[in-house]
Amino acid sequence: MFRKWLILPLLLAVAAFASSTQAASSVQAASSVQAASSVQAVKSRRTSKNAQAASNAQAASSVQDTSSVQDSSTVQNATSALAEVVVVVSSRSSVKSLTAEQATKIFLGKVVSFPNGQAAVPIDQPEGSAIRDEFYAKVVHKNPSQLTAYWAKVIFTGDGQPPSLLGDSAAVRKAVSHNPNAIGYIEKSAVNRSVRVVLEP
Amino acid sequence: MPKKYCLATLVLVASGISVAEADQKDNPASASANIGVSASAPAAATANVPASSRKKTRAKKVAAPANPAASAAAVAPSLSGASAKATAASNSTVRSTSAEKDSADKAAATAPPAITEQQMFKFGGFGTLGISHSSMNQADYVIDSDMPKGAGRSSDWSASNNVRVTAHVTADFTPRVSAILQVDSEYRSDGSYRPEIEWFNVKYAFTPDVYMRVGRVALPTFMDSENRDVGYSYVWVNPPADLYHQLSIPNSDGVDLVYRSEIGEAGNTFKAIYGTNTEKSPNSESISKNLWGIFDTFEYGPAIFHLSYQQRRSSSRNLQTGVSGEWNNYSDLSVGASYDPGNWFVISEWVQHRSTTKVDAMYFSGGYRINKFTPYFTYGQNSAGSFLSDSAPSAAAIERANRAQSTTGVGLRWDFMRNYDFKVQYDQVQLSNDSNGYLINVPTGVTLYGSKFHVISAVVDFVF
Repeated sequence: MFRKWLILPLLLAVAAFASSTQAASSVQAASSVQAASSVQAVKSRRTSKNAQAASNAQAASSVQDTSSVQDSSTVQNATSALAEVVVVVSSRSSVKSLTAEQATKIFLGKVVSFPNGQAAVPIDQPEGSAIRDEFYAKVVHKNPSQLTAYWAKVIFTGDGQPPSLLGDSAAVRKAVSHNPNAIGYIEKSAVNRSVRVVLEP
Repeated sequence: MPKKYCLATLVLVASGISVAEADQKDNPASASANIGVSASAPAAATANVPASSRKKTRAKKVAAPANPAASAAAVAPSLSGASAKATAASNSTVRSTSAEKDSADKAAATAPPAITEQQMFKFGGFGTLGISHSSMNQADYVIDSDMPKGAGRSSDWSASNNVRVTAHVTADFTPRVSAILQVDSEYRSDGSYRPEIEWFNVKYAFTPDVYMRVGRVALPTFMDSENRDVGYSYVWVNPPADLYHQLSIPNSDGVDLVYRSEIGEAGNTFKAIYGTNTEKSPNSESISKNLWGIFDTFEYGPAIFHLSYQQRRSSSRNLQTGVSGEWNNYSDLSVGASYDPGNWFVISEWVQHRSTTKVDAMYFSGGYRINKFTPYFTYGQNSAGSFLSDSAPSAAAIERANRAQSTTGVGLRWDFMRNYDFKVQYDQVQLSNDSNGYLINVPTGVTLYGSKFHVISAVVDFVF
C-alpha cells in the first residue's frame, strides 16, 4: 500500500508547501476570512442543509495556520485585535462568577455543569479566530495545536466531543442570552445587558 | 532507492496539496472539516441567518435538554459530511426521546433551545506519514515486536515504524446512545498494511459522567495506549519504545464502564474493562480470556496522575500444528504522572509487566514550547525479564527473557499548520549486556549484546 520511496518526498512536500502557504498568506488569511464569510453567508441563505459545510469552510479557511495572534496581528480584523476576552452567561442564569479553572473544565468537556449543579453548555468560536485563540491562551492555557491535540485524544478514544460552534461573538452573545445553560466567550466590547460577565481573565 | 521517482512524486504531491488547499478555500462542501469543529456548527453559524436559526431553535425547544446530555454524553464526534436525512432522523429521535429523559437529566427544568443542529454521523480520522533510519544494520529496529521487518537490516530508510492511517465514524443515535467505529491501517505482523477494526462499540450514557460501552475498545494499559496511533496527540515520534514494547494486546472485546467525578477542583476518571481478545499472526493465534482491568486518572490543574492494573489469561496456538500452549497469567501495572502548565511539560511513567517473567520499564520526558516549536527530550529503559523465585529457568530461557535496553532521545515537534505537525527525533539506543534489546531479525549465531546505535525519524502527523 505505501511505497517506501514515497515517504520522504511526501513528507518534504507536505512540510514545504504547508509552510509556504502559511508564510505567504498572513495577508491572504485576513482577506480569505472576509471572502469565506461572504461565501458562507450566501451559501447559508441558499440552503441550510449545507450550512454545516459552509461553517466548516469558514472554520477551515479563516486561518490556514495555527499562528498565534501576533503573527496575523498586522492584518487581522481591527475589532478583534484590540479585544479583551470575557466569559459570559445569560443574564437569566443563576451563575454569578466562575474561576478560570472552572471555565477550563467546562470548555474542555471535563464537566457538564456549573459548580452550582446547573447544566453547562459551552459555545466555541471558529478555529483560527483571534477571540478563540485569546480565550484558550488566557483562560485554558492551551495554544491551538495543544487544544487540537487534546480533542484528538478525547474524540478518538470515544470520551467526549468539543463544544458547539458559532460564527462570531454576536451569534455567541445571542445564543448565550437565550439559553440559561449556555456559556461563551466574547469581546468585552460586545457585552450588553442580555449577558453577564462571569470571568474576566 | 529510485531517485527519479522521488522527484516526480515530490512534484505530484506538491501540486496535489496546493490544489487541495485552493479547493478547500473555494469549495467548502468538499473540504474535510476541522477536528475542533463539531459537526453541529451549521444552522446558527452566521449572524446573517438569524431568522432560520430562530425558527429551528424554537422548533427544537423540547429537544433542548438533550443538548447538554448529548454534548456530555461523551460520544466521539469528529466532523464533516453527514447526510441531511441523518440530521432529520436524529432530530426527530432527539425530540421524541428527550422528553422522557428530561426528568432524569441534570439539565434545567426549563427547556432552553439547542445551540445548533446535531449531525448523526460524524467522520474523521488521523494518521502519520514518516520514515526512519537506524545505524544498526545487522538487525531491524521495530516499535512493535509483532512487526516482521523494521529499520536497519531490512532497509536503510524504513517507513514501517512510522506509517499509519485511521478512519473514524461516530454515530449519535440518541442523546444517550451512540456508537463509534475506527478502522486503522498500519504495518502488521504479516507484513501487510491490512485495515483492522480498532474500536467498534455502542455506548450508553446513564448520565453525562457515567457511561458503558459494549464492543471493542482499545485498552488503556499505559498512559497513551488508547491514543498510541494518534501521533498528533503526543510530542514524540512514537510513544517511548522501551516501555511500549511491554504492550502485548491492543484491544478488548467486551464491556467497559467509565465513571467521572469531581472532587473540589480536581477531577477523576475511573474506568473498568472486562473482555476477551484474539490476536492473529501468520503462524500463531493468541487468545486472551478473563481480561479485566481498572484504570484511574486523577487531574488537578496542570497535573495528571494515572494508576492502572490489567490482567488476563492467555495462550498461544500454533496455526500450523494446531497445538495450543499452556495458559499463563499476564498482568500490567502502570503508574504515571504528567505536569503541563502550558509553556513546558514533563511526563513520566513506570510499568511492570508480568508473565512468566517480570519486566520493569519506565520513561521520563519533558519539553518546552516556543511559538510553534516544541523541543523535547526523552529517556526510557526496560529491565531484563526476571523469573519468579520458585521457577528454574534454563540458561536459554534467561537469555531469551533479557531484552534490557535504554533509549535517550531528543526531538523537535513543529506545528507548522493547523491539524498537522512535523517531528524529527534522534534516539540513541543502548543495549544492555547479554541483551539484543527489541531488535529483530538478528542473524543466527550473531549477538549484538551491549551495542549502541542510533535511530533518526522524521514524520508528519495529521488529524481531520
